Amino acid sequence: MTTVESPATRQYPPTYRPSTLQRILPFAIAAVVPFVLGATTGDVVFWWKALITVVVLAVVARLAWKWTPRGELTHREDMRLWRTPGDRSWAAATTFGLLVLPFILASDFTPPMDFPWATWFAVVNLVLIFAMGAAAFNLLVGYSGQISLAHVAFLALGSIVGGIVGVQWSGGNMWLALPAAAVAGAVVGAISGLPALRLKHLYLLLATFGFHFVMMLVWREYLQEYFGFVGIRFKGENSPRIASWLHWLPGIDPDQNGEFVITGQFRWYWVIMPITVLSILFMVNVVRTREGRAFAAVRDRDVSASLLGINVARSKLMAFAVSSAVVAMSGTLASFYIGSRGEDSFNVQTVLNYAIIIVVGGFSSIQGAIFGSAFFWFLPEWFKWAREELWFVRDIDFLSDYPSEIDLAIKGFLVVVILMFKPDGLAGMWRDCKGWLGRRLAGSSR
Amino acid sequence: MSEPILSFDDLTVQFGGVRACDSISGRVDRGSLFALIGPNGAGKTTLVNTISGVYKPLAGATVHFHPDGKPVEDLLTYRPYQIARLGVARTFQNLGLFMGENVLTNLLLGRYIHENTRLISGGLFTRGAVKRELAAREAIERVVELLDLGEFKRDPVGDLPYGVQKRIEFGRVLAMEPELLMLDEPMAGMSVDEKQDMIRFIYAAQDELNTTVFLIEHDMGVVMSIADHVMVLDFGQKIAEGTPAEMQRDERVIAAYLGTEMAEN
Ligand SMILES: Nc1ncnc2c1ncn2[C@@H]1O[C@H](COP(=O)(O)OP(=O)(O)OP(=O)(O)O)[C@@H](O)[C@H]1O
Ligand SMILES: [Mg+2]
Repeated sequence: MTTVESPATRQYPPTYRPSTLQRILPFAIAAVVPFVLGATTGDVVFWWKALITVVVLAVVARLAWKWTPRGELTHREDMRLWRTPGDRSWAAATTFGLLVLPFILASDFTPPMDFPWATWFAVVNLVLIFAMGAAAFNLLVGYSGQISLAHVAFLALGSIVGGIVGVQWSGGNMWLALPAAAVAGAVVGAISGLPALRLKHLYLLLATFGFHFVMMLVWREYLQEYFGFVGIRFKGENSPRIASWLHWLPGIDPDQNGEFVITGQFRWYWVIMPITVLSILFMVNVVRTREGRAFAAVRDRDVSASLLGINVARSKLMAFAVSSAVVAMSGTLASFYIGSRGEDSFNVQTVLNYAIIIVVGGFSSIQGAIFGSAFFWFLPEWFKWAREELWFVRDIDFLSDYPSEIDLAIKGFLVVVILMFKPDGLAGMWRDCKGWLGRRLAGSSR
Repeated sequence: MSEPILSFDDLTVQFGGVRACDSISGRVDRGSLFALIGPNGAGKTTLVNTISGVYKPLAGATVHFHPDGKPVEDLLTYRPYQIARLGVARTFQNLGLFMGENVLTNLLLGRYIHENTRLISGGLFTRGAVKRELAAREAIERVVELLDLGEFKRDPVGDLPYGVQKRIEFGRVLAMEPELLMLDEPMAGMSVDEKQDMIRFIYAAQDELNTTVFLIEHDMGVVMSIADHVMVLDFGQKIAEGTPAEMQRDERVIAAYLGTEMAEN
């Protein structure tokens, strides 16, 4: 006869405290192994590396899971961003994934069926930039409940600041342009938020949309005044570079002329990824501390919020300021990454794209923006690949005759389906998956 | 002998043709439990809203708050959030909770006025921000224990039963550690047991935090047993005021209540 174990008996001991070393170790492995793998060249066959990658991923996730404080948590433990075994496990896996990804994408390995590795690198970088802007946008629209359509205006502002500070003043100093864009974004963002003190919902939407057109006007005037119709060139002599006093950093070996120019997807990845990760972490921290809680309070019930001592007007303007600062920074980053910005770089379509990103990703979830922008960028790539490579799709003439229309239709259809069945978007689905997996693992391990 | 913590005079609030409060005067003694009663639509909530700054009364009204050891404040010159920061907190008749947020967040919002983490230091999660966040959590821990909310900490407030929600809202104002606590029907819709718990919590708040309580309540039994002083409103007018025992004998009070009971039956 088999004995049926109840889930409770199979769980970890109720209280458990890992040592500090144990807590750090999975993340340390996740951080070091990618660089070791990236540095090994020569005899090591790709498949060996792939195998090592998968094994390390599993080990790192498993160790992070195992070495998680359990039981009655202290306040400090309870406050950690990655609190549960599942959270820590995903965090370690994500750390490893983000660090190992560029090495995989930069390898000259061609997957079967011409899966377009190289173009995907560009898409990954775009996803990261868009995720940063969309997360900031979601902080304002989803989390703080201030409906706004002005985010593309702030991308344009980012390009303007990039143009003035990064190109005209300093000839390619992106490192100066980014903080300048943040400051400009915060100031202009707070001003653009002034209508929110009086208006709500649709009225606010229209007011901020008005701001979009004002900024478009400024953008066009600025372009024509200083750059003419060709637009701003952020590449070539204006490409960002690493200052010479930083050339001692590991992995940075200057080109022949003694400069280290940030070009190519691989180098850009190491610029974009940390900026995106840090700014998303910043916003996540904002949301889980005092002023961020006030954002949510103002969103849900402003009268109730004010009776808790929250200055509602100030809180709204702060939400606008912090969101716009990050959006403007992502605009500057995107300008330098894409390399040129012209008159038609910003339009109403872009406004809608961002709206799709945050709605599909998950309204009011900052992390949802990451899923949303992955959805937004990967899906068309994947469709394109399917049209060209999959035999049963390739032979349908209809699909290859109207590629962009079909893409749009499928995308639109998926958006509707996702929202009908999962109003909290991809982030909601992800949470459900994690919850399910977490329960399975908690039941089966040990 | 007793000094006032709140005094209001000639307070009139008008909505269109309705005088929700008509020239009401009164005072609340420090440390006491002041009860405001009256039939539906008498203007009780309106009075609380006016004191907490949500509604503006007609000219001629005065509302004075006497914080402990500080000069008297004229509340009519302040906005609601400033009044909250002075130490006047209130709950809502129909709950002022943030339903999508979890219990912890709701309670921590009660500490908003006592923390001073700025947006940037919060976003950077600086040492100072962490320290203040910990302090806030420790402060609400007392409330969580008192109100027995531990098991719900991570649950979204909207998913919890009504009685628990009422308790959470009470917990949130306790976390504000106000000098004057205004409770708008905190026991409405509760079972007898829950009401008894709530009474216990109110006493605990008075003892531990030295709070003065301004209570709106419909349950006459509760009011008569716990209030130090009762004010009765009807159709926006103050019809009587005094000790609970006096109110029970007052003919106008009896008439007002019998009137509503007859109308309800
Ligand atoms: N914001 C408002 N706008 C218009 N009229 C209002 C408003 N608030 C209250 N009133 C009116 O003022 C009167 C008093 O309302 P109030 O809510 O103060 O009564 P109450 O004593 O709290 O009653 P209840 O016991 O039902 O809570 C009612 O006639 C109500 O319709
Ligand atoms: Mg009322």
